[in-house]
Amino acid sequence: MNMAASERRRRSVRIEHADARLEQVESVAASATVRHVDQLDTETLAAVYRAVSEDRPVSTAATDLEPGEILVFTDYYRVARV
Amino acid sequence: MTQYVIIGDGISGSSAAETLREEDPDAKITVITDEGEPLYNRILIKEHAKGKLPEAPISIHDEDWYQEREIDLSLNTHVTSVDTDAKVVNTHDSGEIPYDKLLVATGGTPTQLPVENSDADGIHHFWTFEDARGIREHAENADKGVIVGAGLLGIDFAAVCGAQGIEAEYLMRGDRWWRYALSGDGAEIMHEGMREVGVEPVFDSGVDHFETDDDGHVTAAVDPNGDRYECDFVGAAIGLNFNTEFLRGSGIERDNGIVVDEHMQTNVDDVYAAGDLTRFYDVLLGEQAQNGSWGSAKEQGRVAAVNMAADEEAEGFQWVSSYSITHFDFPFLSFGHPTLGDEHAERRYSDTEWRRIAFKDGRIVGGVLIGDLSPQSKFKQLMREQRVVADQADVLLEQSVDLDDLAAPQEQ
Repeated sequence: MNMAASERRRRSVRIEHADARLEQVESVAASATVRHVDQLDTETLAAVYRAVSEDRPVSTAATDLEPGEILVFTDYYRVARV
Repeated sequence: MTQYVIIGDGISGSSAAETLREEDPDAKITVITDEGEPLYNRILIKEHAKGKLPEAPISIHDEDWYQEREIDLSLNTHVTSVDTDAKVVNTHDSGEIPYDKLLVATGGTPTQLPVENSDADGIHHFWTFEDARGIREHAENADKGVIVGAGLLGIDFAAVCGAQGIEAEYLMRGDRWWRYALSGDGAEIMHEGMREVGVEPVFDSGVDHFETDDDGHVTAAVDPNGDRYECDFVGAAIGLNFNTEFLRGSGIERDNGIVVDEHMQTNVDDVYAAGDLTRFYDVLLGEQAQNGSWGSAKEQGRVAAVNMAADEEAEGFQWVSSYSITHFDFPFLSFGHPTLGDEHAERRYSDTEWRRIAFKDGRIVGGVLIGDLSPQSKFKQLMREQRVVADQADVLLEQSVDLDDLAAPQEQ
């Protein structure tokens, strides 16, 4: 197997699907949808942790995150489309 | 037509109701709760008490949700007893409700401190949305706080005090917070987090009694050493009493909760239980266990409902739970059963990073991650696989965990 090509393909897939960022918010509107990280499945929690700790985008297709929702983690974060 | 009755409208009861409607579209489903509002997000009520989150996003279901699914919801209804021979639930003012299959998902009630004046005004327990509203209202006007209960529930009060600008002392009976799961190294990170929000941990303390003014409002906590801590706000979280009193005489086995197997069945035919109050058979642990996490309760409700509708042992409960503390700058996550096990491994990585893994018979059964959550999914995977890895703890304690560095699993 061509490892370099395989790695490029993986990176390409990841970039293609990373369609959201977690933006820190200071306040929450009454109409907002809010979830605590304990409501996330293990893989979505891992993606959220990577996004916050490494300032990386996340894929809403590969996780159960919903654009626009607010996540309660060490701060409040909005799932914002990029 | 099968008649299902669910006592409790927390996440386990509500999850069961939703699953039952999916599995048995023609059934009659009744949900009974003694609370005055339908399902809300119990994890988020602490954020409301902190003053950070409005009420509306905390509600999950309105009454229309039940009507749309043709589920009868009885709010403010107290169950007084269950007759498992006649298959009837007795309520305080709604009469008898017959059932073919019953799910008990009534959760718990905070334990009151068994000390003088523990019912004084200004002393709060924290379990319901209504509790959170009262805590928020009082906390916004309080100046000096005392917190009692050195566990996962007590620390929410520390966060409330920190967020609401209450200068507080956190009285702990031992030498550290959550001593059953954390060593001194891990606990010290949490203590520092508390100090940074204005809450001072006090060790080898606790409460002997409270003092009150003439109006019955708390004015001080006095610990067993005789030290006095002035306060106008107290948060007490020393544990839960499971709501099973109404089951007295029902024949349902109880042991600090309701005993169920991995199918959420009690020892009485057609009676199931789910949520915080179960002492369930944990297939990963190989023994009865308890768990108070949201995900576990939701899954137990779903599994119970699947088995109730199937009228057989169609699905077993197998779950690795998570419980996070998100009050500080650094994340905290406990998973599985961190207080159990016969062997432990831990390492401190920095002033805000620490890790501990609990093993039983060489297999991971739980752990605590502070600061760095990156290995959580790998540890949960190993736990689900029941892989013997305790002899390779060094690999699991590397800052960056690579499961490929573990020796291949042996035939077991």
